Amino acid sequence: MSKKALLEQPAALPAAADGKTKSARRRPRNLWFTVGPFAVFLALFALVAILRPAFLTGGGMAILAVQAATILLVALGQAMVLHVGSIDLSNAAIVIFAAIILAQTLGPLGGIAPIVTLALVTVIGAANGFLVAFGQIPSFALTLGTLGILQAASLVISNATTVYATANNQLLAPLFGTALAGLPMAFWVGVVLAVGLWAFLRFTRAGEGMTAVGLNETGALFSGLRTRWFKVVAFALSGLLAGVAGILVIAQAGAASSFGLGSDLLLPGIAAAIVGGTAITGGITNPINIVFGALTVALVPIGAAAVGITPQAQSLVYGLVIIAAVALTMGRGHNEVVK
Amino acid sequence: MTNASLAPRTGVETPALRLTNISKSFGSTHAVKNVSLKIPRHEVVGLIGENGAGKSTLLKILTGLYQPDSGTIETDGRPVKFRKPQDAVAAGIGVVHQEQSLLSNLSVAENIAMNALSSKDAATSYGFYRWKRLNQEAAAILARVGSTIDPRTKVSDLSFVDRQMVEIARALRVDETIHAAPLVILDEPTSVLERNETAILEREIRSLRDIGSVLFVSHRLDEVLRICDRVVVMRHGEVVADVRREEVTEEELFRLMIGQESRARVRKGGSAAGAVAAVEAKGLGRKGQFKDVSFAVPAGRSLAIVGAIGSGRESVCRALFGAEAFDAGTLEVAGRPVQGWSMRRAVRHGLAYIPSERKVEGMVGGLSAAENLTLVHPREAAKGPILRRKARMKAAEDWFERLDVRPRDPRLPLGRFSGGNQQKVVMAKWLRAEELSVLILDHPLRGLDPGASQTVNDQIRAAQDDGAAVILLPDTLEEALEMADEIIVMRDGEITARFDLSVDSPTSLDLLEKMV
Repeated sequence: MSKKALLEQPAALPAAADGKTKSARRRPRNLWFTVGPFAVFLALFALVAILRPAFLTGGGMAILAVQAATILLVALGQAMVLHVGSIDLSNAAIVIFAAIILAQTLGPLGGIAPIVTLALVTVIGAANGFLVAFGQIPSFALTLGTLGILQAASLVISNATTVYATANNQLLAPLFGTALAGLPMAFWVGVVLAVGLWAFLRFTRAGEGMTAVGLNETGALFSGLRTRWFKVVAFALSGLLAGVAGILVIAQAGAASSFGLGSDLLLPGIAAAIVGGTAITGGITNPINIVFGALTVALVPIGAAAVGITPQAQSLVYGLVIIAAVALTMGRGHNEVVK
Repeated sequence: MTNASLAPRTGVETPALRLTNISKSFGSTHAVKNVSLKIPRHEVVGLIGENGAGKSTLLKILTGLYQPDSGTIETDGRPVKFRKPQDAVAAGIGVVHQEQSLLSNLSVAENIAMNALSSKDAATSYGFYRWKRLNQEAAAILARVGSTIDPRTKVSDLSFVDRQMVEIARALRVDETIHAAPLVILDEPTSVLERNETAILEREIRSLRDIGSVLFVSHRLDEVLRICDRVVVMRHGEVVADVRREEVTEEELFRLMIGQESRARVRKGGSAAGAVAAVEAKGLGRKGQFKDVSFAVPAGRSLAIVGAIGSGRESVCRALFGAEAFDAGTLEVAGRPVQGWSMRRAVRHGLAYIPSERKVEGMVGGLSAAENLTLVHPREAAKGPILRRKARMKAAEDWFERLDVRPRDPRLPLGRFSGGNQQKVVMAKWLRAEELSVLILDHPLRGLDPGASQTVNDQIRAAQDDGAAVILLPDTLEEALEMADEIIVMRDGEITARFDLSVDSPTSLDLLEKMV
């Protein structure tokens, strides 16, 4: 519904308002949003462990964490955008774009290169948010557009080939070279960022304002909150986190291309956010749970292979997981209007 | 239309519609109490009453949207039950709502057909329109209601009156035909019409009387007396009068509508002329909503704006708060004209707005009551950008105690509280401001029980005593006379009267005269 339509709604009659009291109540914080993501991960993990006992003994957990690290970062960014009631379809394209920029600048710029890369993609994310919030362009359409633009930009600056980071690779080596509790540092970076975002949403006015925007944007607007800037912040965070994922791509592969590692993160990113308990309708997310969402999504191909689904059909499983998770978590009955 | 084509006048004694002891309550509010009335064939009956008198609830019962708690409905002498709107349409009752619902990019015939399209409808075949048949049927139905519009015309090309006729035709179409003696309910049809269009509609209504009967809901008493054969007056959910047009004057209808006249007590303290206004509107206007609205409210004074639906007073309040733009005049806050006015700026200048659409605009139902309470003015609940959750909980508990909010748990999502308790929290959220300069209240008591209303009114008075300027859109005239220092009356977007209650003591009748 457009903002104008909301503003010009005729005043409800007392009787109608009374009737609303019963139906407009918010769905309860059901169990799914608190322990669901962990339980789902545990169930899938148990399934894999039973079908493929070698997974446990053969360092499977470390491999899983490597797979989950980039998914987690993209999912955290997506969750922040979903939290304010929008969606960012461009953030997976930003990962590749950031990886290619980093691969090209790491040699000449050294340690500054990651910072430059992060600054650049944060600006790109913020531009997305600015156009959504101030240009009144629906985020779905806008980020679909920036997705195309960024893909083209990546192809052009990489000459459609693989770009190798030729020097200073050792700067990024610790991300996957060192481990803590058997899991690579890259994964822990994601976990620390998840905890940071959780604290941001829970303990800051801006975080609470973003929650308010996601739950009821009109109500937030009428409370005098800077609703537009909150959207810009969410999209900027999405860009920043995608940039961190891009750094991980270079750290892991030492090279980037439009079709290489990290080029198919859009669907897993959204799936991890949703399996992690993020409400697609906005206002409900727990970044810590997204860690389990990302682990679950990373485990899906392994689990799928264990039950005999070919690796080629991976996206099929992601797609089904997204549809099923949203279907299970939408508070239907109240919402007849669905976009 | 000649007499020969009229529906046979079956027994003049059997009314088209008879209601006996209809009651409907919502919680503890009796919206409609023991209403009995009859609408005979070939009669135009007017239904009048203040906002909240129960007219709308009664209409919803008549059209099958609400089920009455008790009482019976009879059509043509047979008792009926309307379980859904289609039942009422099948019984020949069609309602035309105040807000038009036609799809303007489709033709008249398509709009008429849409109401009752079904698979066995002869105007369609396998989901496709049979255009010739569709247009013929539409023309026939339009002719029945006395209109000569070409059914192929696009609705967007029609005048307002013609659209209203299409609405009537559509409301009455049941299974490719029209009930032999339909009852047409017109819900404030003239509030959106120009004067000359009103005259045309009046003629159309009279021609409707030839085939069936009409229930005409309006708040314009002169019109009701001109158009209707009989007038039913409702007050506080009851029918207080049912009189023939010849037996009553406009003046008497006024009195019946508002009951006991209430008169404002003269305020002590005199007018605060000379003081700097906390908020001042100078020739404020918004196209299509209001124009040339000027008033000033000094700190510690209260202004009530009264007016009927369509008076534009809600729009004025929203413009003051920056929720709607104004395109003429200037707005001054604390003596200085505002530029680039927005809700955020308004909040920063100490303005507060309590909207009538509480659930959508007034609160974030998914956040806890405590979170809602500190959303606008965090004060002790935040240190810079960081929230202090413990301090907030303490502040919330204090407010819950002070305003007697139940249940006494600020951790619960605000959406789970009852309307009255929600409204208390919404009030508190604005009253927390360090310096509340202007408090704008859009129907603050709507839907509240007496206890909650009392609490809210006490808070309004306390805010005023603390130096806030109060602008109130009351539900009732009594509320205005009780709460305000000054009253402005608006009609059709313009101010029609001003009463300074420290000098005048107008009655509710004085106000009503300027409203309608």
